[in-house]
Amino acid sequence: MRSRADTANRIVLFLLGLLLVAAGGLGLALSLGAFGDWRATYPVLPEEVRTFPDKEPWLWWAVAGIALLTALLAMLWLMAQLRTHRVSRLDRTTDAREGYTTLHAGALTKAVEDEVGGIPGVTRASARIHDHPRLGLALTVDMTDTADIDRLRTQLENNVVGHVREAVGDLEFPINIELRPDVRRTPARTVT
Amino acid sequence: MTATQWLTRALSALLAVALLLGSLLVIAEVVVAAADRGPWLVPYTDWTAWMRERSWNDWVVNTILVGLVVVGLLLLFLAVRRGKPATLPLRGRTPGVDVKASRKSVERSLAAAVSRTSGVTGAEASVRRRSTRIEARAATRSQSGLRQEVESAVTARLDSLGLARNLRPRVRVYPKDRR
Repeated sequence: MRSRADTANRIVLFLLGLLLVAAGGLGLALSLGAFGDWRATYPVLPEEVRTFPDKEPWLWWAVAGIALLTALLAMLWLMAQLRTHRVSRLDRTTDAREGYTTLHAGALTKAVEDEVGGIPGVTRASARIHDHPRLGLALTVDMTDTADIDRLRTQLENNVVGHVREAVGDLEFPINIELRPDVRRTPARTVT
Repeated sequence: MTATQWLTRALSALLAVALLLGSLLVIAEVVVAAADRGPWLVPYTDWTAWMRERSWNDWVVNTILVGLVVVGLLLLFLAVRRGKPATLPLRGRTPGVDVKASRKSVERSLAAAVSRTSGVTGAEASVRRRSTRIEARAATRSQSGLRQEVESAVTARLDSLGLARNLRPRVRVYPKDRR
């Protein structure tokens, strides 16, 4: 599934690309005389355009306002790249009157990584708790070329998933598993 | 994430930083100019003088405009390009558990399955969004019936993987000593 950051990137890059192509294309059309030959020899910044802001002092404040809006949007865009949606603690409190229960995500993910790492065919496992698009556990399993995907999947779903859900006390706790080859140990894709 | 997604992320982060700094510079210059002071960091008076001297058909201006179009087209290409999928979802078995296999793992699995077919010395697999392309090298010059066997091996492996979306196999068998 594509993340929100990726979707935002595509939209912003598309708009910026469109803006640059339109500006460049329009300028080239001007220089080639598409709007009249006389315009091609006209200065890029005519005198009347240069002196216009002198007569309209509010224009620069409008420019500053647009720049402020652009800066805010750029900051949001930048933050979207850096956001990981990683959760460090899980609140498992069922009744506050009886006390609070907090599960450290690191303890859970370490236990999951250790358990998965012990399965034959697995070279490395990495787990993290996230809160977007919903609270859940993301598990990445690096496996050898010879690992049987079907058998590995069965082991993960029959054992590991049950243990995670038991630990968090939620029998429907969402889990995303990604199976991938360990590229460091198995560089070639060709089988001969 | 695919290489395209990494590139898009890196480029987006760079552009976001550039836009943020550029916008802040514009605000600073407007405030400084409002206090009747000259340019602070951006030599905009030099830039406006340069633009007054240059006409639209000037080669430097044209070069800049061509550059804008090229960069714009590259951004558009990155924005619309879908590329190969990084992962392929597998059919759900347990409620609440989503399992995906990396494209590379599926490709390796298919190549391994094909290479075990009798009469095949090696194979390569490439997975796209809706299809998979298999290139198998035959052990002998004669390939009669081998293509069907390879197709069967691919179909069987795809079935055992349990992909959520069916991939259409496209098999090519090359005779020995030819590609």
